[in-house]
Amino acid sequence: MTEGPPAPQSPTLTDTADLARANGRLILTRWAAGSLVLLAAFVSVTVLRLPLPTPELYWVGAAILAYNALLSLLIQRAGADPDGPPARSLQRFILLQVGLDWLALTVFLQLTGGATSPAIPLLGIHMLLVTILLPSPAQYLYLAIGLGALVTIAVLEYQGVLPHYNVIPGIPPDLYLDPVYVTAQVGLFSVAAASSVILATDVVSRLRRRERQVTALLRTAEALSATLSLGEVLDRFAQNAALALHAPSASIRLLEEGSERLPMVASYGLSRAYMEKGPVFLSKSPLDREALAGRVVIIRNVLTDNRIQYPVAMELERLMSVIVAPITLRRGPVGVLRAYSRDAGAFDEQSAEFLLAIARQGAAAIENAMSFKALQEEDQARAQFVRTVTHELRSPTSGAQSLLRVLLHQHADQLTDQQHEILHRVDARLEVLATLVDDLLALAKSKTAGFQADPEPLDLSALLPQLVDRYRSDATAKQIHLESQVPQIPVRVLATQEGIGLIFGNLLSNAVKYTPPGGRVTLTLVREQDTAQVRVADNGIGIPESEHPRLWEEFWRASNARKSEISGTGLGLSIVRRLVEGFGGLITFRSAEGQGTTFTVALPCLED
Amino acid sequence: MAKILIIDDDPDMVLANRMCLEGAGYQVISANNPTDGLTLAQAEKPDLIVLDVMMDTATAGFQLALQLRGSEKSDQDKPHIPILMLTAIHSTTPLRFGPDDDYLPVDAFMDKPIDPEKFLTKVRELLGSRA
Repeated sequence: MTEGPPAPQSPTLTDTADLARANGRLILTRWAAGSLVLLAAFVSVTVLRLPLPTPELYWVGAAILAYNALLSLLIQRAGADPDGPPARSLQRFILLQVGLDWLALTVFLQLTGGATSPAIPLLGIHMLLVTILLPSPAQYLYLAIGLGALVTIAVLEYQGVLPHYNVIPGIPPDLYLDPVYVTAQVGLFSVAAASSVILATDVVSRLRRRERQVTALLRTAEALSATLSLGEVLDRFAQNAALALHAPSASIRLLEEGSERLPMVASYGLSRAYMEKGPVFLSKSPLDREALAGRVVIIRNVLTDNRIQYPVAMELERLMSVIVAPITLRRGPVGVLRAYSRDAGAFDEQSAEFLLAIARQGAAAIENAMSFKALQEEDQARAQFVRTVTHELRSPTSGAQSLLRVLLHQHADQLTDQQHEILHRVDARLEVLATLVDDLLALAKSKTAGFQADPEPLDLSALLPQLVDRYRSDATAKQIHLESQVPQIPVRVLATQEGIGLIFGNLLSNAVKYTPPGGRVTLTLVREQDTAQVRVADNGIGIPESEHPRLWEEFWRASNARKSEISGTGLGLSIVRRLVEGFGGLITFRSAEGQGTTFTVALPCLED
Repeated sequence: MAKILIIDDDPDMVLANRMCLEGAGYQVISANNPTDGLTLAQAEKPDLIVLDVMMDTATAGFQLALQLRGSEKSDQDKPHIPILMLTAIHSTTPLRFGPDDDYLPVDAFMDKPIDPEKFLTKVRELLGSRA
């Protein structure tokens, strides 16, 4: 039933499962067949009073049931193996079953009248069964065996070597001795059986081929979607194309941008010598030119086809035929997918259609991998840009601030009050600028994958009090009561130190900034099932309710915050939210103007 | 009075640090790149090095610190010169990494821009008996 060279891979799970199912069905059907033989014999003899060789028929029925019991025992024992029996032994098992069945059937035919037996069509059924279950060309062998057995029985009965049983009283008892009748009966049955087997073979082979193609396409899709690395995608693409076409080797060539070189970017099953045979140029390779024009090209024999650039290298690699399909991305054809065979004329129109389908799948995967690579490169470029810009902005501000502060420190007594105030104001403006730069950097980091350190398990019970302490001097200066309540036990989350520092640093600094003197800021950590809940609550100026929806916008500041003397960039909360969500958490808030604000950060907890 | 080497590629930072240190009576020498810095450190044997973390590349300062410490280790007679590293890393990041012998062979960190009073306090602390 299979065509072309044998599969280079071991039979897949599906094939094995199919074979196991076929085995199971055969056993089930045989229970029915054996019972039917017994029942038919009984009914024919007792009810219809037909002159059947009763004991022999009962023996046949019993034998069928007996060997079926044995077979089902065997199959159950094999099924106990967790890996299941290998496909090869399953196939051998089917062969054994069919052999026994044919033996039983031959005996049954003889007992029911040989050439005049009404059971002859059963032979046809068995031939079809073999066609479906066993690999080609076993069905032709069985066709020959079956017909041979029928002819042998007819001849032996004719010669009187075997006894003849006339089972149907209505037909002449010596019909089996009529050469015309016997020849017509056996001959016509042979014609019918042979044509059925040939037709079924064709149908089954086409079905198998489709099934193989669908499986190969599915497997290709699965393999290609499992990775986003371009190199891996190309390798798997080549490998799956070869497996799908039952070809020993395959390769992928992609057009070099701005040139006519077509370098090999991935291959499967090719020797190093062949891969290094030399560069392929479009102008010298009509084969690839035709393929890149958008159609599949089949070279049936590399020795007689002049469209090949390196026929000698192919001959050395023992490759006799090639099939080439274009790899077409959205922007047009970018390369070719080739599959090779050691036999001349191994590929046909159906292979072409199939290879094109695989090439389309591969193209989609290549497109995805390329986009992903471009995104990653863009991310890296952006990270580098942000780093550079931040450094370039940060250096002059900190240089200027350092100079200013030295001036204020060193020459304080030589400055007038007004000069003092001006210098302090300049320093304050520079401080705002520096904070803005820091916030922009933090925001860019939170938006750029690969910019952050890898998250690690962190104990919030230990970290948060340290953080709170950093704002204690600011709070004390404003006469704000600042406290933290954390449990005695560790509450661990997966995050980065810098991230946790930025999240709660921003929330605490906001709380202290926007709470009037005499107020209260509290940080509370509780563990609720599998989340760590951190609440930062203040009784400060709050956020007007109408402005709640805009809270997370970049550069946005609440109207009452803007009216106050307090400086801010409007970036802090955007950074906080991005970081919290980046760690798989959720941030919410409750606020009323003039009464205070409470932010709640929920982060997934690690198991103890 | 102690001799202090400033290594920084930002002339404004060098000037600010120099004014601050000289005002406190220290002798100051400076280099504006890692190579000169290493040469000066070996030739002048300063009592303290004030090192910028980010010079040409983001890691130049760290590498220089490693080199300085490396040459100290190979020569037992050389005294340990304390290194004060100035960083431009987010001063509001509360949980920043601290000095670590295995990881970073520096004695102290300080954020830019410098605050003269805190800076001098740290310098005195690092100089200890050599002040």
